[in-house]
Amino acid sequence: MDLSFLGKLLPMLFTGLRVTILIAVVGILLGFLVGTLAGFALESRIKLFKGLANVYIWVIRGTPLIVQALYVYYVIPKLFGIDLSSNLSGILVISLNSGAFIAEIVRGALNGIDPGQREAGLSLGLTPAQTTWHIIVPPAFKSILPALFNQFIISVKDTALLSVIVVNEITHQAQNYASLSYKTIPTYTTLAVFYLVLISILIIVQKMVERKVMR
Amino acid sequence: MGTLLKIRNIMKNFGDLEVLKDISIDVQEGEVIVIIGPSGSGKSTFLRCINQLETPTSGEIWYKDRNVMDPNQTQLRDFREEVGMVFQRFNLFPMKTVLQNVMLAPVLTKKKDKVAARAKAMELLEKVGLGDKANAKPSTLSGGQQQRVAIARALAMEPVALLFDEPTSALDPELVGDVLNVMKDLAREGMTMIVVTHEMGFARDVADRVIFMADGYIVEEGKPEEIFTHPKNDRTKTFLSRVLEA
Ligand SMILES: Nc1ncnc2c1ncn2[C@@H]1O[C@H](COP(=O)(O)OP(=O)(O)O)[C@@H](O)[C@H]1O
Ligand SMILES: [Mg+2]
Repeated sequence: MDLSFLGKLLPMLFTGLRVTILIAVVGILLGFLVGTLAGFALESRIKLFKGLANVYIWVIRGTPLIVQALYVYYVIPKLFGIDLSSNLSGILVISLNSGAFIAEIVRGALNGIDPGQREAGLSLGLTPAQTTWHIIVPPAFKSILPALFNQFIISVKDTALLSVIVVNEITHQAQNYASLSYKTIPTYTTLAVFYLVLISILIIVQKMVERKVMR
Repeated sequence: MGTLLKIRNIMKNFGDLEVLKDISIDVQEGEVIVIIGPSGSGKSTFLRCINQLETPTSGEIWYKDRNVMDPNQTQLRDFREEVGMVFQRFNLFPMKTVLQNVMLAPVLTKKKDKVAARAKAMELLEKVGLGDKANAKPSTLSGGQQQRVAIARALAMEPVALLFDEPTSALDPELVGDVLNVMKDLAREGMTMIVVTHEMGFARDVADRVIFMADGYIVEEGKPEEIFTHPKNDRTKTFLSRVLEA
């Protein structure tokens, strides 16, 4: 078997890896921010916040990621008269998409905290905000860590769909190589193995982190 | 000695369910009131109405000359700092150490700086016999130890009065005594206490007044000798004969 094509393909995939990781990491961090806000909004007594969060989650869950990507990249710039690079669009899509799922995770974690915890805080004379921050958030955050990491892994895989808006991530790089070289079978086989190794490494890291945090 | 709490005509409904139907009591400074009664009679709801964990449907609560049900949140927090609560299930903060549990509120409410709060917290932990557990996590303690930490946590706010909601009901029988002893010490030191409990021995020894609640009403109240030896109401008699023979 002639593996010489790897000399060209692998460097391209590693270039793509940098973009994939950049978009997935920044996307999940922003998604965490958006998801936390939306998660608290879902639990809020203020109807407007609750409503907005529900609409947001409804829209994201009700449309395919690829459609969201096309929309952000082709429609949003026209609507608002702004310039959005592929990478920025990619980050935006991953943030908004993961945020909707993280909102549900956050809501679940907040629901999972014994109401007695809040009552203990309030009965000691803490403000509701102090109670939330010092008493509710620490255990809630701990309990969402595994799900958050899962969402990160999903987002890493989701970036592959951003090839439709010409983000130069791993999959797009492979497509470029395949269309130039016509080596379809070896290229996509390598691509699949590349993802498999990447995701496996992330899963190992996840297990290590969980073991450390969940002690 | 003056009247600390004036509680007037408290009613509480949960939807269609009328849980409290017109409860009125006065609580004197330094008084120990024990509330007894069958489960479901509204004892917890009544305690929770006092510190506004539940909002009464109607009625009035006055602490000294302040209206506790005033919607002013600052005033409510001041009240809660002065009238603490101990819960049946302890409600300790699981990710914090015992010491952090006790220090947290005094520091956050600016009652104390960190150093003073730590010193005070250690003193209180010694008082409840848990000085050596300061750095332990609550989950490593027995139920009785956790409840004593919860009492220390409430005491750290230097409260004027404490509400206890069945503080020993979740404990193994052999651990009940340690908690009751801490509460007896507090009573002896003059702490104003409202205690919901099924520990009739504690009520007899420590209470200045025993209140029997059933179906959302105060059915009977009086000195422990009166209630335990000469209950007037039939429901009180039935209840007492059931718990005392058990
Ligand atoms: N938050 C709530 N919502 C609905 N019903 C409640 C709530 N809290 C208590 N109740 C009901 O009120 C009644 C009295 O409860 P509770 O005050 O806990 O009684 P006790 O402490 O005397 O056992 C019970 O029927 C209980 O189911
Ligand atoms: Mg109760």
